[in-house]
Amino acid sequence: MLLVAAATAWALPGSAVVAARQYLPGPAAAPAIPPCDRAHSSLRPTGPPRVTPGSFMEQIRDHHRLIAGVSQSTYPFGFFNPRNGNTEGFDIDIVHAIAKAIFGNRNQVEFKAIPDDRRIPEVWSGGVDIVAHTMTINCLRLEKVDFSTVYFQAGAQVLVLKNSRVKRLKDLRGKKVCSTSGSDSLSYIKAAHAIAVPVVNFTDCLVKLQQGDVAAISTDDNILAGLAAQDPWTKIVGRVFTSEPYGLAISKMHPEFVRFVNAVLQQMRTDGQWTADYRRWVGTPAPAPPRARYKD
Amino acid sequence: MPSAAGQAGTAVTAVSHAPRHAGDALPAVGHFVRATTTPARLRLLLIGLVSLCLIWGAVAAWVVSQRASGASDVASTSETLSLDGQQIYRALSDADATAASAFLTAGLSGSLEPINGPLRYQGDIAEAAAHLESATAAAGHSAAAADLATLSADLPVYTGEMQTARADNRLGLPLGAAYLQEASTLMRGTLLPAARNISAEANVRLAGASGRATGLPLALVLLVAAVIVGFALYRAQRWLFRRTHRRLNPGLVVASVAGLVSLLWLGIALGMARADLLQARTHGSTPVAALAQADIAALQARADESLTLIDAQGDDTFQQDFVGVQRRLGPGPGTLLTDAVVAARGSPATGPARVAAATATTWYGVHRTVRSLDDNGKHRQAILLVTGRGPGHAGTLFTRLDGSLTSAILADQAVFHRHAVAGRNAFIGLEVGVIVLALIMAVGCARGLITRLAEYQ
Repeated sequence: MLLVAAATAWALPGSAVVAARQYLPGPAAAPAIPPCDRAHSSLRPTGPPRVTPGSFMEQIRDHHRLIAGVSQSTYPFGFFNPRNGNTEGFDIDIVHAIAKAIFGNRNQVEFKAIPDDRRIPEVWSGGVDIVAHTMTINCLRLEKVDFSTVYFQAGAQVLVLKNSRVKRLKDLRGKKVCSTSGSDSLSYIKAAHAIAVPVVNFTDCLVKLQQGDVAAISTDDNILAGLAAQDPWTKIVGRVFTSEPYGLAISKMHPEFVRFVNAVLQQMRTDGQWTADYRRWVGTPAPAPPRARYKD
Repeated sequence: MPSAAGQAGTAVTAVSHAPRHAGDALPAVGHFVRATTTPARLRLLLIGLVSLCLIWGAVAAWVVSQRASGASDVASTSETLSLDGQQIYRALSDADATAASAFLTAGLSGSLEPINGPLRYQGDIAEAAAHLESATAAAGHSAAAADLATLSADLPVYTGEMQTARADNRLGLPLGAAYLQEASTLMRGTLLPAARNISAEANVRLAGASGRATGLPLALVLLVAAVIVGFALYRAQRWLFRRTHRRLNPGLVVASVAGLVSLLWLGIALGMARADLLQARTHGSTPVAALAQADIAALQARADESLTLIDAQGDDTFQQDFVGVQRRLGPGPGTLLTDAVVAARGSPATGPARVAAATATTWYGVHRTVRSLDDNGKHRQAILLVTGRGPGHAGTLFTRLDGSLTSAILADQAVFHRHAVAGRNAFIGLEVGVIVLALIMAVGCARGLITRLAEYQ
C-alpha cells in the first residue's frame, strides 16, 4: 500500500499534464492529428428534412431500408435486449427517427452490429449508410468521414469495484485498465502509464472487472454508467477528464445526407424528442440538448 | 529367448548326429560332455529334450500372454476411453450450442428460453461429467490423463460463466451476452480440444494394443520354436529307433502328440483371434474413428452457425470457422465425410454414412440462405431458419446429419465390440493349456528315455 501511495505521489505532476493535454485541441493533442475545429465541423441543413430527387436519401429509399452500423453491447446506447430480441438504445432511437424521416416508418432499418474499430471502414466501404455507435468527433476521424452535429456530450471517467481505493485514472499507474480496441480511451490509459487491456465490447470489460482480471475500466461516463447499471457492485470515480462529443458518421461522398440528418437532429432538439429519449435511456433530469454548430 | 532355443537346438543336433560318428570324438560338444557311450548319450538326450519342452512351454505361454493382453486391451480399456472422449465432446458441444440457441431465440418464442433449453443443457453437462468420470477411471496414467485433468478443472468454470450469463439474461442485461461469449471461448479454446485429444490418444492406444494382438513377429518366434522342438523330437525318435530297433517309444509319442495338439490349438486360436481383431479394426474401429471425426466437425460447424448469429459485434470469425470446417467435413475427395463413407464400406454403417454425406450438402445450401438473410438484415428469418425444426430448416438437417453419423458410429461400434470380444475369447484357457501340454511333453520325454536308460543298468 505504501509503495502504491509513493508511486502515486511521484506520478502526480506528469500525469496531470498528460490528462490536461487531452483537452487541448491542436498540435499538443497528438502530432499525427491535424488541427481542426471539431465543435464547428458539420454542414448546415437546408430546411426541414426532405428526400430530394437524385439524393443519397432517395437511394436509401429505393433500397427499402436504412443500414445503420451500431453496437449491440453498449447499454443503454445500443444493445441487444435479451428479453425481446430487439436492438435498443439512445443511438438506436436516433436511427429510428432518421428512418421515419426517410420512409415515414421508423422500423425500416437494418442494424448491423460492428466493433469499434470497424466504424470508419464500414462507412468507407459503403457497408453501412450511417454509423450511430457512441462515436466521438475528433480531428483524425474528421479527415476520414463526415459527422453530424453533436447529439450527445460525453467525457471519460473511470469505473472500479465498490471496494477499490482508486480515486482517479492516475491511481491506476502500472495496473490493468480495460477499454475497447479502436476506441480513443486506449491512448489516455497508456498516457497515464496504466496497462491498457483492449477487448471487443465494453461488456467484455465488465466481465474482466468482475473476474478480477483488470483493476478498472475507463471510457466515456455514459457508457460506464450503463455498465454500472448492470453491476451494483461497481462505482464511477473521479472527474470527467476528456471531452467526447458524439456525432453520427457518414461518408464524405454524401454531404446532402449529412445536411438531412442534421435537419432531423434539429427537429428532435426542438420538438422534445431528444429530451424524451434522454429521459428514457440516460435518466432524469435531462440537460438541454447539445447546440448545433456548423462550419459556416 | 531365440539364442537359448538355438543353443538347445545345436546341442540336440550334435547328440542326434553322434551315433553316425560313434568312433570320432565330437570336437566341441563331444569333448565338453564326453558322451561317448550310449547311456551317456541317452542321458544327454533326456536333459536336452526335457529342457527343450519346458523352454517351448515358456515361449508359447509368453507369446500367448502378450497377445491375450493386447486383445483384452483392445476390447476393454481403449474402447471405453475412445468412446468416452467422443461422448464428452458431443455432450459439451451440444451444451454450448443449446445455450447459444437459447440466447438466440429469446423474445422470438414469447419466452426467455426455449422450454426444453435448460433441461437439455443440464442433461448434456451431466452426461459429460459422467463420461469424464468413467474416462478418468479408464485412463490411469496414460497420455489422456492431462486432458482429463484440464476438463475436470475447467468444466466448473464454464458452467459458472454460463449460469452468470443466464442470470444476467433474465435481468435483461446485455452483460449476459458477454458471459456467453466468454464461456463459449473457454469451451472452444480449451474444453473441446481436450475432449478431442482424449479420443485421439485412445485411438493411438487402440492401434498399439491391436498391433500387439495381431503382429507377426511374435507369431514368427512361436513358429521357429515349434520347428526346433518338432525337429528335435523327430530326430530323437529316429535315433532311438535305429539304436534300439523298437518301432515306437510310448513316452516320446505322447510328447509328440501333446506338442502337435498345442501347436494346433495355438494356430487355430491365434489365427481366429487375429482374423477377428483385424475385422474389428477394418469394419469397426477404423470407420468409427473416421465417423467420429466427421461428427465432431459437424458439431463444430453447427455451433459456428448459431454463434455467427449471436455475435453482437458482427465480426465474421465464426463464419470463417464454419467455412473452414465445411471444407474439412466435405463430402468431397479427401474430406472427413468421404473418408468415413470409404472406411465404412462393407460395414453396417455404410447406409447411414451415405445419408450423412448427402444431408451435409443440403445443409450447406440452407446455411448459405441463412447467411444471405442475415447479411441482408433479415436477422429474425435467419434465426428461425437456423433454429427451426420444420422440413428444410437448418436445425432439422443438422439433426439428421448428426443422427445418421451417430447411428453409423453405433452400428460399427457394435461390429467392433463383437469382433474384439471374439478375438479376446479365442485366448481363453490357451495360456494354461500350452503350459500343461508342455509339461506333458517334458514328462513324456523323460519317461520314454528313462525306460531306455533303465535297460542299460
